Amino acid sequence: MKFKFTFKIWLLIIFLALSLLAIFSSSGFIKHGVLVASIDSSSDLFSQGMRQGEVIKAIDNQKITSLEEYSNLISNKFVSNKEIKLIVTTDKSEYIILTNNLSSIVVKNIPKTNILLGLDLAGGARALVKAQNQSLDSAQIADLVDITRNRLNAFGLSDLKVAPVSDLSGERFMLIEIAGATPKDLNRLLSDQGKFEAKIGNQTVFIGGDKDIASVGRDAQNARIESCNPLSDGSYQCTFQFTVTLSPEAAKKHADITENLSVNYTDQGNYLSQRLDLYLDDKLTDSLLISEGLKGRVTTQIAISGSGQGATEEAAYEEAKVQMKQLQTILMTGSLPYKLEIIKLDTVSPTLGGSFTKTIMIAGIAAILAISLIIFIRYRNFKISLTLILSTVSEVVILLGAAALIKWNLDLPGIAGILATIGTGIDDLVVIVDESLHDTSISIKQRIKKAFAIIMGAYFTVLVSLLPLIWNPITGGAAGAGLLQGFAITTILGISIGVFITRPAFSDIIKQFKHKEDVA
Amino acid sequence: MSFKSKIQSFHDKHYKLLLILPLLILIFSAVYLAVFYNANGAFFKKDISLTGGTTITIYDNLDIIKLKTDLSTKLNDLNIRDISDLSTGELKAVIIETTSEGQEAKKIVEDYLGYPLVEGENSSFEFTGASLSQSFYKQLMLAMLVAFVFMAIVIFIMFKNFVPSAAVVLSAFLDILMTLIVINIAGIELSTAGIIAFLMLIGYSVDTDILLTNRLLRRTDHSLNLRIFNAFKTGITMTLTSFFAILVALFIVAPFSSVLTQIFTILVIGLLFDLFNTWVTNVSLLKWYVLRKKK
Repeated sequence: MKFKFTFKIWLLIIFLALSLLAIFSSSGFIKHGVLVASIDSSSDLFSQGMRQGEVIKAIDNQKITSLEEYSNLISNKFVSNKEIKLIVTTDKSEYIILTNNLSSIVVKNIPKTNILLGLDLAGGARALVKAQNQSLDSAQIADLVDITRNRLNAFGLSDLKVAPVSDLSGERFMLIEIAGATPKDLNRLLSDQGKFEAKIGNQTVFIGGDKDIASVGRDAQNARIESCNPLSDGSYQCTFQFTVTLSPEAAKKHADITENLSVNYTDQGNYLSQRLDLYLDDKLTDSLLISEGLKGRVTTQIAISGSGQGATEEAAYEEAKVQMKQLQTILMTGSLPYKLEIIKLDTVSPTLGGSFTKTIMIAGIAAILAISLIIFIRYRNFKISLTLILSTVSEVVILLGAAALIKWNLDLPGIAGILATIGTGIDDLVVIVDESLHDTSISIKQRIKKAFAIIMGAYFTVLVSLLPLIWNPITGGAAGAGLLQGFAITTILGISIGVFITRPAFSDIIKQFKHKEDVA
Repeated sequence: MSFKSKIQSFHDKHYKLLLILPLLILIFSAVYLAVFYNANGAFFKKDISLTGGTTITIYDNLDIIKLKTDLSTKLNDLNIRDISDLSTGELKAVIIETTSEGQEAKKIVEDYLGYPLVEGENSSFEFTGASLSQSFYKQLMLAMLVAFVFMAIVIFIMFKNFVPSAAVVLSAFLDILMTLIVINIAGIELSTAGIIAFLMLIGYSVDTDILLTNRLLRRTDHSLNLRIFNAFKTGITMTLTSFFAILVALFIVAPFSSVLTQIFTILVIGLLFDLFNTWVTNVSLLKWYVLRKKK
């Protein structure tokens, strides 16, 4: 008798093919180039339209297939500090720039698969935040989420998720997840409310946010580190300066207030009697002299300055850069409406990620080998054992395909979920084989039916035991914090694929083996 | 008399007596847990993912013993572990756990090391506030309870018979209880991942019980003992494949991930107890039930 491909077997084959497609399509496995991991929003390439996620295919028509080639090419191009013309070809467009370096973009290899790894495997940052001394209703939390997202975007973070979550007692939190990056200033960016005020005397001239601030200078001409100087205690201080453009109303206010000030004549120059004081979160951060020429004038351009300190000159420089970026962000996005408290903060370095993923793969292969051994000892039948192992492997492949398709982040608890799938999968397959081997008084069809009675029973018990984990009123807060959903969703997905796709197909295959033996 | 029939006649004679074993373990477990609860105020020891605190992972080759003695006075409930490479055995990172607050703990460690910890470059950092951890703990306990009740409801609907259903639920409960006792005796502190493992255990433990109950109650094709024996053959394959798969994986991930190590450890212990509770406790209860119904 020839092997018959039944509907269920075809279904399995189709799902397997689709899964492989979902895992590998347009991934680094088949595509060449390097991926733009981040791009400076003040760069020339950015203003021409290049965005994060584009794939650089060629530079000056020289094909690029790997990160190495990219680095070699770049270092060959920029031998001197001279500006050269560069044609950058990506999968979306072609850009022509005149530059002496390409430091405005950071590139990496295209991932080999489309499977997204969770925070604990790929690295990243996660924060759970709540308002200090105050509980927020859902509208307030939604506001906070919007403003925070703006602020993080303005700060240059794009691959992020900001969402409201709540816990059992109805307390609401904001969850922030940043994939693949661990911004070192996240803590400050969130825990500082960022209430910016510029005052002359006790009159407010302007505050942060788009009502008073029309734009904030962020390119090299309009924002820079001015100078670095050693302090008396041996540490260093660097000052920064950037320009802001005030809205017409704010500029008018500035004119009205300065109109009534008197002028002090000094040797260093002629300044108004009062200074422009800059407050951040009610702390005076800087006090600027206002030159005589600005008295009563409607000026929209204002220079804001500040400083950063550090033990070494380099550290001070970096700190000044961070401070400047933060102040720019605050001026652009305005202050957060509530004082926030970080109640959970995880930053996981991607350093270990690579070897970690490798270890898990080794563990997975070893586990399948162990299973194969026991199955082979038990059945001493090569055909049955091989079919059983292949069914389990295809279950995992389809699960990974589904994960890639829905852009599900696979994290450590998710790995445990895959393990749970393999475990129950093997159990069910063993049940199918044993049922089909025994009890020859009834037809093979009935025997398989009996096997599925057991399998569905086990399926529903596991399914309902996982429901509380994804049921928001119970684990909203914890699930939101990424603790449980990974496990629950992966397991539910895995066992469902098993019960509805791979195990029925497996039973059809076994049926045919068995049928042949019965006939023989 | 063959070996098989010797076992059979032994089992026919003594199967009720075998129930003394789980009963004794149950009594011991109850007493042990009561004493444990009295001493600790909880049914298990919680790690910092459930009590709140800070975990700092430093990617540097540091002297753990020296680190421990030098920092133990400055950081509360200090615990230091290491991660080493699987193939070379080289120390890759040091993990510092403390119940101290995040930024404060970071500062202390930085001062000690003499260099700043840049997250994502030379270190990873996790902090959870104590009140949040409390709320996680409550949520997880509730989830566990609801999961167990849901599982029991499905079992009762499936078999529609009180005694066999109760036997399955009891056997799942004993799996969890006995595993918990071993975890407590071994002094392991449970994390959120550990609680997930107990949830997985519910799933792993009931499927062999469902198989057994199905074969004993819904079949009449062979003698009762043969049905038990056939179910045992299938069930032992199911449990042993899971057991060895997880055991092998445990050895490989142990030096790397405390999360997976804890999940796998609990499952390995739980599966051993599942062998006992399915093939001693549940078999005896079911045999008793079937034989009584026959009369």
